[in-house]
Amino acid sequence: MLKMKMMMPVLLLASAACVAQPTPDPQEILAASDAVRNPDKPFSLVTKLTEFRDGKQVGEMDLSIYAKSEPSGGQYRNLVRFLAPARDVNKLMLKTGNDLWFFDPSSKASIRMSPQQRLLGQAANGDVVTVNLAKDYRAKLEAQEEVQDGDRQARKSYKLALAASSPDVTYHKIELWVDTANKRPIKGKFYAESGRLLKTAYYRKYEKHLGTERPTETVIIDGLDPKWVTVMRYSDWAWRDIPEAWLQRDYLPRFKPE
Amino acid sequence: MKLTHSHRLAATLTAALALANHHAFAQDDLSALSLADKAPAEKVASRDWHLSTEFANTNSVLRNGERVNGQRMSLDLQVDKTLGQGWRVLFADQLDLRRQPQPGESATLNTVKEAYLSWSDAGLAADMGRINARYGVALGYNPTDYFRTGANRSIVAIDPASLKTRRQGSVMLRGQRLWDDGSLTALFSPKIEGDAKDGPFNLDFGATNFDDRWLVAYSQRVGGSFTPQVMLFKEGVHSPQVGLNLTSVVGQAGVVYFEWSGGKSVSQLGQATNRPEESVFRSRSAAGGTYNFPSKLSLTLEYHHNGDALARDGWDALVPVDRIAYRLWSQNRLELVSKKSVFAYASWQDGLMSNLDFNAMLRQNLDDDSRLGWLEARYHWKRTDLAVQWQQQQGTPASEFGAYPQKRALQVLVRYYF
Repeated sequence: MLKMKMMMPVLLLASAACVAQPTPDPQEILAASDAVRNPDKPFSLVTKLTEFRDGKQVGEMDLSIYAKSEPSGGQYRNLVRFLAPARDVNKLMLKTGNDLWFFDPSSKASIRMSPQQRLLGQAANGDVVTVNLAKDYRAKLEAQEEVQDGDRQARKSYKLALAASSPDVTYHKIELWVDTANKRPIKGKFYAESGRLLKTAYYRKYEKHLGTERPTETVIIDGLDPKWVTVMRYSDWAWRDIPEAWLQRDYLPRFKPE
Repeated sequence: MKLTHSHRLAATLTAALALANHHAFAQDDLSALSLADKAPAEKVASRDWHLSTEFANTNSVLRNGERVNGQRMSLDLQVDKTLGQGWRVLFADQLDLRRQPQPGESATLNTVKEAYLSWSDAGLAADMGRINARYGVALGYNPTDYFRTGANRSIVAIDPASLKTRRQGSVMLRGQRLWDDGSLTALFSPKIEGDAKDGPFNLDFGATNFDDRWLVAYSQRVGGSFTPQVMLFKEGVHSPQVGLNLTSVVGQAGVVYFEWSGGKSVSQLGQATNRPEESVFRSRSAAGGTYNFPSKLSLTLEYHHNGDALARDGWDALVPVDRIAYRLWSQNRLELVSKKSVFAYASWQDGLMSNLDFNAMLRQNLDDDSRLGWLEARYHWKRTDLAVQWQQQQGTPASEFGAYPQKRALQVLVRYYF
């Protein structure tokens, strides 16, 4: 009993310390979660997209992605090369902001695309490429709550509400749950301007790549049809020297990775 | 009291529904995550070569009512091999074998599409050999695609994608300088032979290298995403032509573009019939845009103008021999035969079901009111495509599309990718 009495002030102090802890800056949480997903130097990785509908696999695609942030440290530019299926091998997509080009080596045609044009099944172009959300969205801390992550574990999380700060983004609004312990993104819900849920994404299977623990899988669940599922699996992470000259339309016919 | 009870009941029902929805949602997510666990993990091995084969059966109805049937097998090979630091060799070849070839078709026809050596280092690049140098931002008509003349040795379908994929390049020496946000390209393509050859394995330099040609192209990013391209082209003794390509994104779903070529030249009829004429300034252009709907449907609409071509009264006044010469010259250069036309193209990916694509095209000659329609349904498996294509030409016998010997055709294709 005496022991309990002695401990009371300590517990009170501890809880007071918890209460007094300053509210974390939501934009910093978002930037830290971006840093978990995206290496801070130019890099490449391979993404395998597998699409399921009603429990059956209906599509598969393999992409090699080269990413480099803008010289000012802003948004990423991405060069995407199709590795499979066989009919699409060596086709390229270049995305620098809203500037998108598609190149087909068999016709030598470079075609300009709108951000909304789909090449990748259910996944939007913006889902596949490397994106710094903190550059395009304003974050607000909505709650701290426990959620189930993609590996079915309960995690304490910050629930962030992201509002688009630029009209040139794939999603109008995002709800993002970020692990309070390590700022890992856990899951996101992506909304259209109408407020309709477009998709839910789980970031899971964390492994150490390019210096830190990063998600090696994103599971995308369609907002209208939850039986429409796309899995993006990442592998072959590597630092890359990506010259600026690669990131323009006229370089596409010359692109040949080592 | 009754009202309060109803409210309570409604609140309870709403809460129960919300709970049920939440449970269903959580269950949906868990099911999706379990499904994701089954996603395959095997990696794709990269290769220097790609080979595909296509089998086609075509049923055509001619203007005279006769029905003809033909079969074709094609082999398509592409090789892109790195030889060493900065050096590559590229080769692309297509072999078409036909049973029951129609007039103007060969039973065996091989097309060397590309064969060249390439070198690049730190923003400098050079290429030498047969190269498919393709320019232009429009889909249905490309006045700045100067090296399209004589490039289509074997035509098996009339959609723009097929025409661009199956064409042969010109022999040339090309140099390029690339900097952070622009490039400068210069190329020279010499005359090798004067006339096209249709021998089964002829390299057909006469079709693509019939005259000395050179081209300079300059691109520079101006502002965020605006990169105009300016070109200067000269062929033989003809006056230089200036080319311009502009594109811009409109909102999240639209792209607009404008392609223009102009310079002093004799008329298309004068060039086709070798009539002496005075060169005057003429221009050709394509303007259009594409809109992408969220349902993976994209619509393209273009307006085409050819200042070199004949207007309706000029076309009507042609004697048959000149009409044939004019038509053949225009076909060989993929050039418009009339001044004005519109082009529409629709593409619907995963339409009705996954892996089933629909494509449709319409070309409408605004001078003679003839039209060409083309429809395709294509289903993809992992390594195989099955496509059904239908095309129809309509118009008076003297019109652009009405003069085709073929009235309509149905083609079934199977393509396998090795």
